[in-house]
Amino acid sequence: MITHLFRGQRRYLERGKRMKKIIEVENLTKTYQELKAVDNLSFFVEEGEILGLLGPNGSGKSTTINCLLSLLHYDRGRIRIFGQDMTPDAYEIKKQIGVVFQDVAVFEELTVRDNIDYFCGLYIKEKALRKQYVQEAVELTGLEEFVKFYPKQLSGGLLRRLNIACGIAHRPRLIFLDEPTVAVDPQSRNSILDGIRVLRERGATVVYTTHYMEEVEQLCDRIIILDRGKIIAEGTNEELKELTGIEEKVTVELKKIEDRQVEAIRGLEHVKEVTRSRNLLTIIYGEGTNNFGKLLAFLEQESVRYDKIYSERPTLNDVFLELTGKELRD
Amino acid sequence: MFAHNFRYTLKYLLKNRMLIFWTYAFPVILGLLFYLAFSNIEKDEKLQVIPIALVKEEAGQAAGQGENPAGEILEETVKSLSKENDPDRLFDMEYVTESKAKKLLDQDKIRGYLLLGKEPQVVVRENGTEQTIFQQVISQILQQARLSQAVTDSPAMQKALSGISSPEEARERAEKVLEGLKQENPNIQDRSGDHLGYTVIEYYTLIAMACLYSATIGMYAVNSMLANMSRKGMRISVSPAGKGRLIFSGVCASYVVQLLGLGILFAFLVFGLKVDFGRQILPVLFLALTGSFCGLCVGIAVGALVKASENTKIGVIISVTMLGCFLSGMMGITMKYLVDKNIPLLNRINPAAMITDGFYALYYYDTLNRYWLNIGSLLLFSLLMILLSVWSLKRQTYKSL
Amino acid sequence: MLILKTYFQVLKKYSGVVILFTAILLGFACFNFKTKDNAVGFSASRPDIYVFGEEEETGLSALLRDYLEEYANIRKPVLKDGGSGGDPQEDEAVEDALFYRDVAMIIRIPEGFGSDFLDGKRPALAVRSTKDAEASYVEMQLERFLETAGTLQQAGYSEKELIKRAREILWETVPATAAGSMDSEALSGATFYYNFANYSLLAGCVYAIAMILSSFRGKQIHRRTVVSGMNYRILNRRLLLANSLFTLLLWGLYVLISMVLIKDVMFTKHGLCYMANSFVFACCALSVGFLIGNLVPGKEALSGVINVVALGSSFLCGAFVPVQWLPEGVLKAAHLLPSYWFIQNNELIRKMETVDAASIKPLLINGAVILLFAALFVALTNLLERNSRRRRA
Repeated sequence: MITHLFRGQRRYLERGKRMKKIIEVENLTKTYQELKAVDNLSFFVEEGEILGLLGPNGSGKSTTINCLLSLLHYDRGRIRIFGQDMTPDAYEIKKQIGVVFQDVAVFEELTVRDNIDYFCGLYIKEKALRKQYVQEAVELTGLEEFVKFYPKQLSGGLLRRLNIACGIAHRPRLIFLDEPTVAVDPQSRNSILDGIRVLRERGATVVYTTHYMEEVEQLCDRIIILDRGKIIAEGTNEELKELTGIEEKVTVELKKIEDRQVEAIRGLEHVKEVTRSRNLLTIIYGEGTNNFGKLLAFLEQESVRYDKIYSERPTLNDVFLELTGKELRD
Repeated sequence: MFAHNFRYTLKYLLKNRMLIFWTYAFPVILGLLFYLAFSNIEKDEKLQVIPIALVKEEAGQAAGQGENPAGEILEETVKSLSKENDPDRLFDMEYVTESKAKKLLDQDKIRGYLLLGKEPQVVVRENGTEQTIFQQVISQILQQARLSQAVTDSPAMQKALSGISSPEEARERAEKVLEGLKQENPNIQDRSGDHLGYTVIEYYTLIAMACLYSATIGMYAVNSMLANMSRKGMRISVSPAGKGRLIFSGVCASYVVQLLGLGILFAFLVFGLKVDFGRQILPVLFLALTGSFCGLCVGIAVGALVKASENTKIGVIISVTMLGCFLSGMMGITMKYLVDKNIPLLNRINPAAMITDGFYALYYYDTLNRYWLNIGSLLLFSLLMILLSVWSLKRQTYKSL
Repeated sequence: MLILKTYFQVLKKYSGVVILFTAILLGFACFNFKTKDNAVGFSASRPDIYVFGEEEETGLSALLRDYLEEYANIRKPVLKDGGSGGDPQEDEAVEDALFYRDVAMIIRIPEGFGSDFLDGKRPALAVRSTKDAEASYVEMQLERFLETAGTLQQAGYSEKELIKRAREILWETVPATAAGSMDSEALSGATFYYNFANYSLLAGCVYAIAMILSSFRGKQIHRRTVVSGMNYRILNRRLLLANSLFTLLLWGLYVLISMVLIKDVMFTKHGLCYMANSFVFACCALSVGFLIGNLVPGKEALSGVINVVALGSSFLCGAFVPVQWLPEGVLKAAHLLPSYWFIQNNELIRKMETVDAASIKPLLINGAVILLFAALFVALTNLLERNSRRRRA
């Protein structure tokens, strides 16, 4: 495991030399009384990428973001954004940052448009430009029909979209999204994820925290997995999956199989592990191609009858399981 | 940035129904209630005509006895004091039997009755000012008779009568002496001021309350901008807008909202209820402005220092303000005096009392010393609140959110 | 049991405000019950006054002071700043005392008053007064004194004779008896307390009940309760039980406080009447709480409505201001509020000579009116609830 991590990191370090680093974090540590919420964290974010911070609830994702934004006081470490030290009054840096917080943060007393305009106005002074930006944010989040609504009148998903619009209307270069899709219906979620892709296409760099691995797999160029305030792995989706040492996982649902035959499967090429529980047989392949075909041929040849058979690629959950011994989701 | 934040702060404050109710509508409603409840008090405070009864001797007794000169004088005098349409009328008198008088007394229809016997006697049911006046007036009638006797025995009279034997002449001389006595006009100089109406204190506490309710506005505005108090505050904190300037413009907007509400209240009190604010309107307005400012500072301090939900904070502010107003006489004017006299310190640190006392000083006193003292304490109190807030607001990062 | 338990857990959150109302009641009561002599029988009112004069008073000045002492309490002011120019008359403490009716009159006996008077002059007595009934009384006495002394002076009496004669005349009073056998002072105190309790009871009950109902009837929680196995009727009945229990506790607390503060009255038949009357009113407050809790959506609006209702009916019905001082029109309108009947009853109890069947009758009628109000509120609540349930369904 250690060697895997080492190999992965070295590769990014090499690549990092070529790309411009937007965020650099060194040895960040933050404790709440006894609890080490963030433990000696070091990482960077490159320009134009979508970085996913993945981890279970309480792994320190939000704390990390709040420290990056100079909202939280931290014990140790150095944070540089756009090559400069981040401080509470680093207004030049803040101007180019957009944040979408986990909780909806809007004024109940203001309409959708007024809310976006207010928060945008904290960044953009020029009125005509602001008007244009607000309109763009409304379109991006699909809130056109609701601009005159008050937050109370919006459904949960729409409220989330408003929350995002308020955070990104001023066209920031760097966007932090802290679990923007918690408790959101699938339709709104897809719309949100699409929006984030559009933002990236426009040149924004995105830091995205979530505990939904599917979102990270779909969206992120690079992923950092956090657990108990520590980075336990980082890399692209593919690279992380390599860490599991799993290439393919085939599950066979069958009526009957002899022990001899199971042993024979174990002996097949590339097979790493075979487990059997009741009528389920799971075969894990470490590497190789066309494993599935070969298994099918074997079963045919042995006349083993099965009800169902399917092959899966490893998920980030498998990665997490492999690294921590527990499931990503409780 | 100032204008932007100012405009939107105005907008969201004015659209917050709860804030507007407490700062705009509630004081007006209370003012109306005061007006309904207190409009009569001062009218009734003056001495009213006292209902009494006169019990002549029972028929059986009267037959056996002769005339009773003291009783006659009493009856005549009480009668003349009970004349209707007389501006100096003191009693509302009726003739009844003793048993009827007792019944009337029990039903609280009369304050007391006079038993005309050989020894006149006053009967009342309970102690009280009206009962005492009744007894005293009757006493005075008796005293008058004694005074006449004293005049008859006086050295002047004796001198005039000395050596005279004929009763005719004596009466003539005596009458002359009596005529010579000038009518005594008691020389009492009333120097009471004309600002004695004391229900105005109620309205003063009302204004104090309205001033201090601006704390809710200030608290709300500041709360919205602090990362550790609200989510909106987190969003604002990560923007490039300077915190100091944002809070300043937010507070300015709050002050405008507050003054608008205060204006409505003043208009209602002055034009609707015709409350008298004494001589100088400028100091009155200045005090109201200072009071509102003080309220605002309290709000900022609560917003910056107390970590709780907005509704809880509003609840705290409203309750504490109510308590302060109670101590400065809102639910009974004597309360302020009692606190001032017995626990002066309590009202020295109670901004509601400072505002109320400032108005009172303006209304009742000719000099402005006490008024300025109150203005000074208000400003001092505000300063303290500001210092506390600044100390807390200066933090830009937080231990936890 | 479950609902009762939850009820009191939710109640804890609102207990602060209820405690505040109680504290205000307590504060008000303590400030107003300064124990006085509760002698039965007639004793003349003695207004408080300040008298300023010469350092050493002799002759007529001394007589005037004696005379005033006879009819009023001459108090010594606790000076604050000595007043402008060192004149104690203009001290703030003196001025305030007059404004707040702590003293009815301030009298200044001028220098050389006695000798000037005996010389046939009539030096002015400078007074400042509150112009209320007590002040009129003192002024009356003052006039009486000056008239008598003046007449005697004109009649040629020497100083010594004059003082002797004046004493004979001015100290003569007609005997007075008080027919009432009650301790009217203590009864006034009790009425005062219970009248004020109108506010605390109404505000406290309605606040807690309406807030808690609002919690239980909140959209989400209501929906959750409806889909649970709990019968809607049973839930309502339990809530009613819990609210009744709370009302009972609050009422009990206020009665207990009154027992401590005004024990002279509370352990008599009169005290029983006060208790019964306030109990009936507490029941009515319970129904008002239910009505408002159902009528007003949202907790934010609730606290506003409650304040207006509690303060409004307290002001209009005479809880803060003695009933006899209220304008007639207001009192007529107040008939429409249950508080009016409650306070009327308190006033009746105060005036009741004896507690017997005849004297209790009007109390019972008023009590019935309060209960009628309660029934009306309950009916209204049921109507509202039925409608809203139909709408939801």
